[in-house]
Amino acid sequence: MQRAIWASADWLEEKIGERGILAAFMVPAIAIVIVAQFYPLFYSLYISFVDWTLTRSMEPGGFVGFANYAKMGTDGVLQQTWGRTIWFAVASTGASTILGFVLAYLTVGEGRTLRIARTILILPMVIAPVAVGTIWRMMLSARVGPINEVLRGIGLPAPDWLGDPTLAMVSIVVIDVWEWTPFVFVIFAAALSSLPSEVLKAAEVDGATSWQILKMVILPMLAPVGLLVVMFRLLDALLTLDIVFTTTFGGPGFATHTLSFWIYQQGLRYFNISYSAAISWATLIGCMVMVGALLVWRARISRWQGA
Amino acid sequence: MAEPAWNAAYGNLPKRVVVTLFVVVALLVTLAPFFILFGNSLRPSDEFMSENAGLWPSQLTFEYYADVLSTNGSTFRILLNSIIVTTATTIVSVTAGCLLAYGLARLRLPFRLSTVIGLTFLVVRFYPKIAIAIPYFVLMRDFGLRDTYAAVVIAHVSMTLPVVVWLMLSFFEDFPRQIEQSAMMDGCGLLRRFFSIVLPLTTPAIATAALLTAFFSWNEFLFASAVGPLNAKTLPVAISAFITDKGTVWGQMSAMGTIIVLPVMVLALIAQRYLVRGLTAGAVKG
Repeated sequence: MQRAIWASADWLEEKIGERGILAAFMVPAIAIVIVAQFYPLFYSLYISFVDWTLTRSMEPGGFVGFANYAKMGTDGVLQQTWGRTIWFAVASTGASTILGFVLAYLTVGEGRTLRIARTILILPMVIAPVAVGTIWRMMLSARVGPINEVLRGIGLPAPDWLGDPTLAMVSIVVIDVWEWTPFVFVIFAAALSSLPSEVLKAAEVDGATSWQILKMVILPMLAPVGLLVVMFRLLDALLTLDIVFTTTFGGPGFATHTLSFWIYQQGLRYFNISYSAAISWATLIGCMVMVGALLVWRARISRWQGA
Repeated sequence: MAEPAWNAAYGNLPKRVVVTLFVVVALLVTLAPFFILFGNSLRPSDEFMSENAGLWPSQLTFEYYADVLSTNGSTFRILLNSIIVTTATTIVSVTAGCLLAYGLARLRLPFRLSTVIGLTFLVVRFYPKIAIAIPYFVLMRDFGLRDTYAAVVIAHVSMTLPVVVWLMLSFFEDFPRQIEQSAMMDGCGLLRRFFSIVLPLTTPAIATAALLTAFFSWNEFLFASAVGPLNAKTLPVAISAFITDKGTVWGQMSAMGTIIVLPVMVLALIAQRYLVRGLTAGAVKG
């Protein structure tokens, strides 16, 4: 049996050559990504220029130019959403980047205890975001949640975390930070352990304190990785959906409607698919500009360091 | 083991105490939500009504698990769906990803086409997935694949392929050429070299790629909910449906949450080394 398989492999190879086989190797993956990613991506660009609401018609309607994009200017919910989402992304990215770095810095080193600690610290990022939301909805429940139970126990006020518009946003930031600090942590931990030890030794021999080494050696050397981390975090935070979906479902009222949640609601709940495609593309272009700017900045830092 | 003296964690005693305390608090904050989840999945339903039920249930019940795991219940089907989707996604994504990465690493294409293809795959990571969720839903409807495993699996494969490709690409590029060359001298064709020499030697990388792919597929919510709402419903979609209900279903919700979370936690702890390598690939080097 095995011999027959190899024989036919050799036959195939003689027939189409090594280059042919290597080219054939590349076909399935490219086909899948084109069908499931790039085609829908450009199809959504197309439907953002037509009039199409799934509840009214199963087929795309006529060309309407930039009408769907113009509609964004009069969408009151959307306008609140922009600011809220950016506020959320900056708060979450800032807090998780600082926390993740500090944790990575403090747990550098070898040894069993540290290794176990590092593994535990990674856990929140590998579990399902919808599970994270579900868990935290219980944690923050006003009446029977454990957090309020503890707060009441030590005589502090027990607020309605997810029911109050302002506190609900703060809560979502806290949950996002809990979930994604591990991402920052794991990248910085790897970067810290791969720093050239000669440089650090040299600074030590020169009598630099650990604070000076951190400020003048470690942080500058980690800047390129740091920018990459910030970029990924901003991108993910700007598009947060799962947590909002499972904790507040955008509420109370519209208080925690983030950009992705509004796109989801427009597209898969109200079926205004051309409008949701238009918001998606506006978001996408915004994200691309941000990614481009950060990458250019990173290249400049690297070049400056290399010089 | 030499301690890196540049780290604050190895300073004088008061410093060490503060650092240790900080890390311990971080560990507690990380683990507390899991503790509450596991506790609530074992808590008798009447305790959910009380304001002072305690952080851990006073009595344990397994009724929610019996409910979720009973073969004639509706949730068992969902668990099965999740297992099928995750397994299929992992197999297809790792296979297609390895093949593409090997092709990219070995085939000399004109016009730096290999770089272009590699970067194009990377782009998939950088745009909002919500932008294609709805067109993908329309596309699957037109294909007649709406609400099938295939629709969910294809979406998951397309989203995990970039990670697999980039992970495997660096391994294939670093793979010692001499081994392949000496096999070639012995008359080993490309297919034999790839399947019986290269692949077995890159098992650690394949394990890393498989782990990341499986975790992603097991956890994914957006596409699963867009194209697999009923027949192909997975656990994350099912648990998100609890949002419409009030505290009365916390027991079932926690049991389902535990079933989603626990296998991933256990695997992450066992395969910690592979996981960290996968999560940090690219970011640190590049």
